[in-house]
Amino acid sequence: MHRPAKLLVALLSAAVLLATSACSPEQPAAENRTLKIVYQKTDSFTALDTLFKDAKKDFEAANQGTTVELQPIEANDDDYGTKLALALRSAETAPDVFYEDTFKVRSDVDAGYLLKLDSYLEKWDDWKIYNEAAKAAGTGDDGGIYAVPLGTDTRGIWYNKKVLQKAGIAVPWQPRTWDEILDAARKMKAADPSVIPFNMYAGKASGEGTVMQSFYELLYGTDSELYDQQEKKWVVGSQGFTDSLAFLKTLYDEKLAVTPAEALDANVWKKVFGEWLPQGKMGAVVEGSYSPSFWQKGGSYEWAGYGEDMGVAKFPTQHGQEPGGVSMSGGWTLAVGADSKNPDQAFQFLATALNKKNSLAFTVASSQIAVRSDVAAEPDYLAANPFVKDVSELVSVTHYRPATADYPRISAAVQVATEAVITGKFSPQEAAEQYDKTIRDQVGDAKVLQK
Amino acid sequence: MTTAEQAAPRTANGRVASPARRKASAPADAALLLIGACFLLPLLWLVFASLDTNAGYQTRLPANASLTNFAAVLTPELLLRPLWNSVLLSGGTATVTLAAAVLAAYPLSRFQSRFNRPFLYSILCGTCLPITAIMVPVYGLFVQWRLLDSMPSTVLFMAATALPMAIWMTKNFMDTVPVALEEAAWMDGASGLTALRSVVLPLMRQGLGVVFIFVFIQTWGNFFVPFILLLSPSKQPASVSIFSFFGQHGAIAYGQLAAFSILYSVPVLVLYVLVARGAGVSFALSGAVRG
Amino acid sequence: MGARKSVRQQLRLLPVVPSVLLLLLFLAAPVVWSFHASFTNAALTGQNARNPAWTGVDNYARLLTDSAFPASVVLTVVFVVASAIVGQNLLGLLIAGLMTRARKPVSAVVGTVVVAAWVLPEIVAAFAAYAYFSKDGTLNQLLAGAGWAGADWLYAFPMVAVVLANIWRGTAFSMLVYRAALADVPQDISEAALMDGASGRQRLVFITLPLIRSSIATNLMLVTLQTLAVFTLIWVMTAGGPSNTSTTLPVLAYQEAFKFGDIGYGTAIASVLIVLGLVFGIAYVRLLKGDNR
Repeated sequence: MHRPAKLLVALLSAAVLLATSACSPEQPAAENRTLKIVYQKTDSFTALDTLFKDAKKDFEAANQGTTVELQPIEANDDDYGTKLALALRSAETAPDVFYEDTFKVRSDVDAGYLLKLDSYLEKWDDWKIYNEAAKAAGTGDDGGIYAVPLGTDTRGIWYNKKVLQKAGIAVPWQPRTWDEILDAARKMKAADPSVIPFNMYAGKASGEGTVMQSFYELLYGTDSELYDQQEKKWVVGSQGFTDSLAFLKTLYDEKLAVTPAEALDANVWKKVFGEWLPQGKMGAVVEGSYSPSFWQKGGSYEWAGYGEDMGVAKFPTQHGQEPGGVSMSGGWTLAVGADSKNPDQAFQFLATALNKKNSLAFTVASSQIAVRSDVAAEPDYLAANPFVKDVSELVSVTHYRPATADYPRISAAVQVATEAVITGKFSPQEAAEQYDKTIRDQVGDAKVLQK
Repeated sequence: MTTAEQAAPRTANGRVASPARRKASAPADAALLLIGACFLLPLLWLVFASLDTNAGYQTRLPANASLTNFAAVLTPELLLRPLWNSVLLSGGTATVTLAAAVLAAYPLSRFQSRFNRPFLYSILCGTCLPITAIMVPVYGLFVQWRLLDSMPSTVLFMAATALPMAIWMTKNFMDTVPVALEEAAWMDGASGLTALRSVVLPLMRQGLGVVFIFVFIQTWGNFFVPFILLLSPSKQPASVSIFSFFGQHGAIAYGQLAAFSILYSVPVLVLYVLVARGAGVSFALSGAVRG
Repeated sequence: MGARKSVRQQLRLLPVVPSVLLLLLFLAAPVVWSFHASFTNAALTGQNARNPAWTGVDNYARLLTDSAFPASVVLTVVFVVASAIVGQNLLGLLIAGLMTRARKPVSAVVGTVVVAAWVLPEIVAAFAAYAYFSKDGTLNQLLAGAGWAGADWLYAFPMVAVVLANIWRGTAFSMLVYRAALADVPQDISEAALMDGASGRQRLVFITLPLIRSSIATNLMLVTLQTLAVFTLIWVMTAGGPSNTSTTLPVLAYQEAFKFGDIGYGTAIASVLIVLGLVFGIAYVRLLKGDNR
């Protein structure tokens, strides 16, 4: 064989080798298994990283021969969701255990990404002490359980007492209607034009934050709904939808919230927690029960005085109608990949990560509302921050997102509508019409209810 | 940039486009310097901010310049491993591309065949494919072929995207090597590929270097492709890790972002200077643009 | 004999095989796949992720009724025309022209600065542009220095910001092409024209420009294609916002496919872009063919 021909053959075979080695992932030997764990980690959210590092230590000690490979994805909620979705799509890249937002559970079950855990949970004693709402959060359309919640949360108005007092508003403050919010916000603006009186998120950049901490507090306090449970249809053309958008428009147009430009920055919440509230530059914000996790000792924006300076109020209904308040609950879960090669071990790891010790540490560090009754009864949990009682009471008026597989697409459409309104691209009426059209395109006329 | 446009009317007198280098004119100097200043400004921010521990988005001389920002980002996880991944990706892509391009260019440059023209023209069409547009289908295809999150397949894909331009450039460079030299080798009984290796390639070393560096730089700077195709944090190149750094800290750690950007850019700047010094950029472009 | 000769001729083409394979597998296949997937409702999650169904031209029909798509086409055209065809191309020609008249060191320094913006990795250039145009950024700092009120460019005028950023980033390419082209214009022709009393403008229009005609055409084609594919710059600076007012087609395709998980719809948008690219590609080939004759 001539030398150049050899060269050519070598090159070609190298190319083929490259291609085939890429095609056939190594089979894990029985005694040398690896579990891949994918989760989110940011500079202001390390509690989960700590949880998994502890669980890895415990698990590897108890299971010789199994290596736990932690793959933290450093990204905000939205980018984490995209990256996880990209990885789940292919069996080769799908993780064994991963961190999954509750609102995506059903649609990912539909896509076949999540392993049904019923047979494992039967044998796991701890499952009995999870509360009912938590169990529902991990349920798929077929009634099986596919994910185990790490904790849950509620949402309310977090206000800086000093800013309110300066504007002559008595604390503790509890607005009864939307108008009372606007009145208070205008007073704060008048007292000090440099403060941001009352912020509610909007736009695509804040992702689920926009709907969970803002739009749904509004919509669920009107007489309209996002989704009709009985008919199992998405509601379009409702007055409440337009009213909710109009309220956001008022907030942003009167400069009672952050500027629209700031609202469209995915990191705006960091400024809320890290600068504006602690420095008394923001009156109030609708945020989650996890807020203290940022301010408490060891949090990303430690603020010694948050217990005295901050207060929590229920978000009111539109005109003060029953039940007098609105909250939203969500939370994150752990799930096992449907294509996991070692499902038994994967579930064991999940169970280790969620045992009482680890759950308690995580619940306290990230200011979650406990979903296990043993954790909920722990003195450490009850004394974790001054607001545990306040935010737990919000459970009585809380709502959950529609548990349907097509929810994520609906949520995206709502975010688009809020962005169009606060930027002045559309009027609330136009944005609502645009939303209706998108929904019809996405889910089909058969699953839409015209109100 | 606004000033650059204000300078535009100066072209109206047309003298500026005169090809002859007669006496240098002061207005031309002034206009050029003005344009240059506009181009410089955004870059100045990068440099100043990287040295300033209290940097914001404004351009200002650091009050007390220090290398703190550089030290802060010089960690294995944040910078060193991603940089190494970038080296692997870019080096691998450039090698595969160059090897394939040289092999393909040789028959195209040396032998007449009915196949040549259509092939060259389809390649030319290939250079026109907007790569960002095909990322959605490429992702879908990689899922189906089970190639996701694999460095070798990402290298092969990036090599394929760089290949049309590389073949085109290599062929043009090869065309400038006189056939007479090889004919002597053929007379001595050498096969085509031997002649390629022993006669042609050494003579077009410079051109090959240009193609290699060209592809290397292009791959080094590519963000979108590895962002979609490589999912494990341990495989991500610097372009992706810098993006997640920006996503998380962009609004806070300006100085570190700038320092990170500079460390990440230095290798391609050095390589570019190498080409510009060694071969001259118009030489490189002549390979790329000439019909 | 003849048969053997043709076999040998075929064998000579053997070295082209690796390239052909790479191109077929990684460029041609995605294009084919794109057209195929654009007729399905493939998705990232939900039922359609597991069992994508053939939906015919539904995605294309949706493109026509979706207000985001026509808006995005318009924005893409604006982006390409303003930043590539007008901005980069004319500014590149201007700089190259000025360089023939300016002192050498000045040309060298300015050339380096212009090229630096081009050589930088795209994402770094995007950060620099983001910082420059942001509300507290350098541009507003300059404007304030001149006594003008600034604006939040990325929010209020996102297209202006991304167009200017792309001019800043990409002009070097046109500049280099035109420098090479102008250097090839024979000096004596222009001198002769000067003797005949031709004015500067006349020389530009009647002599220089016609002589570099093919460079202009090539350059226009290439910068148009490069600009059509710009994603990272826009994604970092504005992410297509606010409210899709800077969402060009590549950004729209990404958003639909990966953010909203609608792979089928996203590939339909991608397919439109691919067709655009191919149309330009064919035009480009024709142009070069005409030149060679």
